[in-house]
Amino acid sequence: MRDAYVVGAGQSKYGSFPDESYRSLFRTAVENTVDSVDHGIDTAEIDEAYVGTLGVGGRQLGLPGPAVTEHVGLHGVPVTRVENACAASGYAVRQAVMAVRSGMADVALAGGVEVMTDLSGDAVRYWLGVSGETEWERMSGTTFAGVYAQMASAHMREHGTTKEQLSHVAVKNHANGSKNPKAHLGFSCTLEDAVNAPDVAEPLNLYHCCPTTDGAATALVVSEDVVDEYTDDPVRVAGVGAASDRVGLFQRDTYNSVPASKKAAESAYEEAGVGPDDLDFAEVHDCFAIAELMAYEDLGFCERGEAGPYVESGATRIDGELPVNTSGGLKSKGHPIGATGAGQVVEVFDQLTGRAGERQLDDPAVGLAHNVGGSGGAAVVHVFEREDRASEEVDA
Amino acid sequence: MSRGILAVGAYTPENRVPAEAFEEAWGRFDAPGVETKAVPDADEDALTMGVQAARRALSASEVAGEAVDRLAVATTTPPLEEEDLTARVGSYLNVPADSVRRTYAGSTRAGIDALLEAIDGDGTALVVVADCPEGEPDDSREHAAGAGAAAFLVGEDAPAVVTGRATHADVRPGTRFRQHGSENVEGLDIGTYDRAAFTEPIEAAVDALEDADAEAIALQAPNGKLPYRTNLDAEAIAAVETVSSLGDTAAASVPLSLAESFRSGHERTLGVAWGSGAGATVFVVEGTAPVEASLDGDRELDYPAYLRRRGDIVGEKPDGGAAHVPVPTWRRSLPQRHRHEAGVCPECGAVAFPPDGACPDCLSLVEFEPVEPELEGVVDAATTIGQGGAPPEFAEQQARQGAFGVAIVRFDAEGGEVSLPMQVAGGASVDDRVRAVPRRVYVEEGVPRYGLKAITL
Repeated sequence: MRDAYVVGAGQSKYGSFPDESYRSLFRTAVENTVDSVDHGIDTAEIDEAYVGTLGVGGRQLGLPGPAVTEHVGLHGVPVTRVENACAASGYAVRQAVMAVRSGMADVALAGGVEVMTDLSGDAVRYWLGVSGETEWERMSGTTFAGVYAQMASAHMREHGTTKEQLSHVAVKNHANGSKNPKAHLGFSCTLEDAVNAPDVAEPLNLYHCCPTTDGAATALVVSEDVVDEYTDDPVRVAGVGAASDRVGLFQRDTYNSVPASKKAAESAYEEAGVGPDDLDFAEVHDCFAIAELMAYEDLGFCERGEAGPYVESGATRIDGELPVNTSGGLKSKGHPIGATGAGQVVEVFDQLTGRAGERQLDDPAVGLAHNVGGSGGAAVVHVFEREDRASEEVDA
Repeated sequence: MSRGILAVGAYTPENRVPAEAFEEAWGRFDAPGVETKAVPDADEDALTMGVQAARRALSASEVAGEAVDRLAVATTTPPLEEEDLTARVGSYLNVPADSVRRTYAGSTRAGIDALLEAIDGDGTALVVVADCPEGEPDDSREHAAGAGAAAFLVGEDAPAVVTGRATHADVRPGTRFRQHGSENVEGLDIGTYDRAAFTEPIEAAVDALEDADAEAIALQAPNGKLPYRTNLDAEAIAAVETVSSLGDTAAASVPLSLAESFRSGHERTLGVAWGSGAGATVFVVEGTAPVEASLDGDRELDYPAYLRRRGDIVGEKPDGGAAHVPVPTWRRSLPQRHRHEAGVCPECGAVAFPPDGACPDCLSLVEFEPVEPELEGVVDAATTIGQGGAPPEFAEQQARQGAFGVAIVRFDAEGGEVSLPMQVAGGASVDDRVRAVPRRVYVEEGVPRYGLKAITL
């Protein structure tokens, strides 16, 4: 099996853009991705494309893949739309890696796009509800925030997690996002702001919930056979793991963790030959503050039940032992559903290649991206590493 | 003993609005003798109230729904003007598909007509009577309009039997009517004419009885004053009246008073049902049957909250619906919607909900054996969906009712356990004990969808 590498990644700014379309946002992401390739790339070299999108708003329900790839001039390129709710483009990246590793493609474009803010409040709630279990969970009156709030209630009951600890996630991610020019909500906030925000679905309040966002993000995944044509400093896809689970929270064995995340992470770590202690940073799926805390436990950053004290300790701040969501995460950077997973890869690529600007970490070598669909019906984890570090290990 | 009433169940909504609330709003209250009245919650109607009462009647007699041979439903306020209510009521109660079904409507006498015809029939009969009349906000009938339900299990060797009966009809139009396509009961308010239309058929029917003496009189009560305009014993009427606390319960008025009479241990009750048009059905019951009832309500509404419950001051639900569940799909899940029917895996014994697809434990693709979980369970995860945060399907309900809880509730099910998501009226917390009750889930494409929601115990 061939190795796969990320040689370029880019995104549009995330936010609310009444003057943009899903096509124009995707174009911006592709242009930024192409610009990020060290030696440049002709898009005619792209063999395959994968596009993640939920299809919010009812526009282009069928064939959104060709709709965006043809728009950016990828004429005739085989393209597949990937839909796994909020994990759509995390899975699109995985598909690209599989295509490259299998030998079907040497250069694959993976990404996603979503436009969410041009909808009425009612329409957004309709569409977001589709990402959950629609026949029972949704018909009990539960919203997407409601399902994660149920998870928070179970985590609090089981582990004594507090609202203040949830609020630390918001404070940290907004601090990071304030340094990210691409962030949707690029402002910082205090713990007091976060604790005292109005409830959305108790115990989750406004600062415990990510926004709905417009945006696009893409990454270029290439094979070991051609990687040298594009960069001298490649980022290797060291490990990929993915797993699914029952869509309805009520159908699972646990309400205070995401088993699909744990399973996906175990596969990714095993393939990469690393463990959580080897990570220099991580982008995790923080659609709600409780989701980030559960991710700490599911991905092995801390012991089960310890996520609350762990975030409170500052360990996951940008200057902590394991910085998490240096981009600002879904909370601050934003959550354009179909683009989110690819957007996480953009941040990992930027950090590993020294392009993260004000939020640049000190020479990181190994990063992880964790993307969840729905409340855990699908999860995908990628471990990326700088090739020079891998070479050093081989030399050693 | 012979055929008669084996058991009674009665139900009223939790909401109460006091007469004072109307006086503050309107400067007057036009329902004399009504002190408070029961108000259906935003997701309650005649069907859900009737099922609650029926559950209690079955419980009081320790008879299962599967044993019912005849099912009758009576109401003047069906959720749909045309559609057989007995199908859904029967599904909730697990009444056999080949049971005899009857629907009674169009008159406040309908409930008693249904009861007496069930007694005239054979087999085990379940008679479900529920009503929640409405009128224009400034109409006297609306000021009186209450809500409630009663159900009777009828069969052989009954402790309460009907020993006499009579009817009388006389044409008296215009006293109380509901026009085609209208939700509002109205009347012409022609003072003496109206009173005579009530009292004269009743008195004629009672006169036709051989022996009308009784300790208690369960008398139709459109308001708290009209019953006492008859020549019947006021003390015996007052002994079992429900109109002062529940308001006008229409077809359920006499059934609820009969339940009160049984509860109070009156060995001889005169039942007097009246319907506008006009006609009266009177009957004498000797003995008492066991009653399972809770007619108290401790959630007091002010007048704005009352109008919200009625839906008078809320907008319509938004359009659209990506999470739309088509009616055929909904229909396939009715045993789960109505009774939470789960399934036991024949391979490993695990309980699955919904009982469809692979077993959650052993992952075998099996045909599950049906099992009905307990109705009481424990909350394992919960949140509250605040005002304005509900999915659009539930926006109107929330506007009428306020914030609601959503929880994952665990129920025992024949040695196993099963968990499912449930809406909880008023909210819930982890570890709360709740009970599954019938409620309307939402209305889509004009079709009410019913299921089970939870109330905290």
